[in-house]
Amino acid sequence: MVSRVLAVARKTLSQFRHDRRTLGFVVLMPLLMVVVFGYTFGGEVHNVRTLVVNDDAGFMGLRASDRILENLTGDTLALETWTRGEVAARAEVAAGRAWAVLGFAANFTENLATGNATAVVDVVLDGSSPTIVSAVLGKLRAAAERMFAAGSAAPFALEREFVYGSEDTRFIDSFAPGVVALAVLMVTTIFSVIMVVREKAGGMLERLFATPLRPVELVLGLALALAVVAFLQSVVVLGAALLLFQVKVAGNLGLAFAILLLFGIGNQGLGIMLSAAAKNELQAIQFVPLILFPSLLLTGVFFPLEAIPSGLRPLSYVVPLTYASDALHSVMLRGWGIVEVGLDVLILIVYDTLTLLGAAVFVRRQA
Amino acid sequence: MAREGGPAVTCDALVKRFGDVEALAGVSLEIPSGVTFGLLGPNGAGKTTLLRIWLGLTAPNSGTAKVLGFDIPPRAVLPRIGYMPQDLAVYQDLTVGENLALFGRLVGMDEDAIERRTEEVLKLVDIAARRDSLVSTLSGGMRRRTSLATALLHDPDLLLLDEPTVGVDPELRAAFWSYFRELTKRGKTVLITTHYMEEASQCDLAALLHRGTLLVRDTPAAIKERAGAQNLDEAFLAFVREASA
Repeated sequence: MVSRVLAVARKTLSQFRHDRRTLGFVVLMPLLMVVVFGYTFGGEVHNVRTLVVNDDAGFMGLRASDRILENLTGDTLALETWTRGEVAARAEVAAGRAWAVLGFAANFTENLATGNATAVVDVVLDGSSPTIVSAVLGKLRAAAERMFAAGSAAPFALEREFVYGSEDTRFIDSFAPGVVALAVLMVTTIFSVIMVVREKAGGMLERLFATPLRPVELVLGLALALAVVAFLQSVVVLGAALLLFQVKVAGNLGLAFAILLLFGIGNQGLGIMLSAAAKNELQAIQFVPLILFPSLLLTGVFFPLEAIPSGLRPLSYVVPLTYASDALHSVMLRGWGIVEVGLDVLILIVYDTLTLLGAAVFVRRQA
Repeated sequence: MAREGGPAVTCDALVKRFGDVEALAGVSLEIPSGVTFGLLGPNGAGKTTLLRIWLGLTAPNSGTAKVLGFDIPPRAVLPRIGYMPQDLAVYQDLTVGENLALFGRLVGMDEDAIERRTEEVLKLVDIAARRDSLVSTLSGGMRRRTSLATALLHDPDLLLLDEPTVGVDPELRAAFWSYFRELTKRGKTVLITTHYMEEASQCDLAALLHRGTLLVRDTPAAIKERAGAQNLDEAFLAFVREASA
């Protein structure tokens, strides 16, 4: 079993070695994606879950905090009144379930009205997404401007506290994990589709199955070889992100690679299954947009999932890139370990298992 | 080796349909061990389908078959079978040597044996000099020889060769046939399909297949004699006429 799997993996890598153009594609395409996205992309967010801990006791029957909240218009922030205390609210952010906490102390209105002390809004932020940090802070500033016309009393201060990242966390830092995963997705899927279509076309599958090779062994062998390729790509892409854009990695780089690898293996299984529907390489290439668009738009690569319209959100949870992207984001920006990203990793393992089994069934049928 | 004295390959009342087309219409055949056996018939006669059933690559709709004493699909004996399909089933983007190594590993040969047999087999099919060439850079005939080499590499007891001599020049074809005879002397069984009837005169036994039906199975000389024909081409036509009469 193992020797046959290794034999397939070895021949597949030899095929890559003989094909310089393909080898170039393996390295250059993900590199190009990182560079292009790195220089050009920015985005708007919606529905950022923000917890409001309002202890404001008011002053002379007025609560300024309520006025501020009223002025936080639009759908950028999804405000939620939180009554279980600031510590619990902060824990929600640390666990990745909320992006921000707005805290108003009991004397907020009093300080604002009397000027005895500076009125402070405590803003707790998950700084791993600069898009969200700037959206939250921008909204608060806009609300302040609306309430206090130019020349009036000094407005309140924003006391910022970052659970993850910092104010210096840049857009590129926040979406580098997603782009890395996306690059791996594209190339691994397309490659495995092309590989299997090629084997079908030359009568190779039939020839292989006239030896003791089992379909599942063939699939594992292909997956092993492509995992090597996926690993190389991860190195190139992460390397480019680290060197060209000085992306920060707060967590364990090894864990980040492991996540990419798990994701890549599942994609190969998916690619092999898709190849069942393709007669030649040209048809296989037509699957690209089918994979690309849902992955690009629905998975939180560029926006947090909160930014995706709620009607489409269920689809997001079906696209595997959602979990790979989330896990990488958490490891690279929040510095989370295996325990915290355990659920994502588990889902990726299930993804791998299902697609590889499916692939073995499809390959058998195509012989 | 097949079981003591047993036939190498058998089938009984095999039926295989593809949609409305009946590729095999109840074929029963026995091929003894240690012979060169020619399975003859025009394109579409059902030769390849029969080979694929013996290899377990496709299942019959009804009927039974055995290979080296094992029921189909013959997983247990696949390492003892060498198969050369009609398609050029070698990787174009691997070298000749890499192709051989792959198939050697898949049938469980160790690296030393692969190395030794690769030398021998490539000399035999006369492409030893191109061992490190990519298959895509070889001529059509050389590709076929590479394909034959992968089938011969592990010195199988049973060779199933689907049209092995297509596109091979006469000199080399003669070399192939003398090698096949040498193999049968060593007790191996060689089953060759071809639509070049005359080539099959060199077989120990031959069978004529026409539209999924077995017309005759005998020695080439006896087939010619029974049809009162000068050559196998004429004999084939005579049997077809007789069958449709």
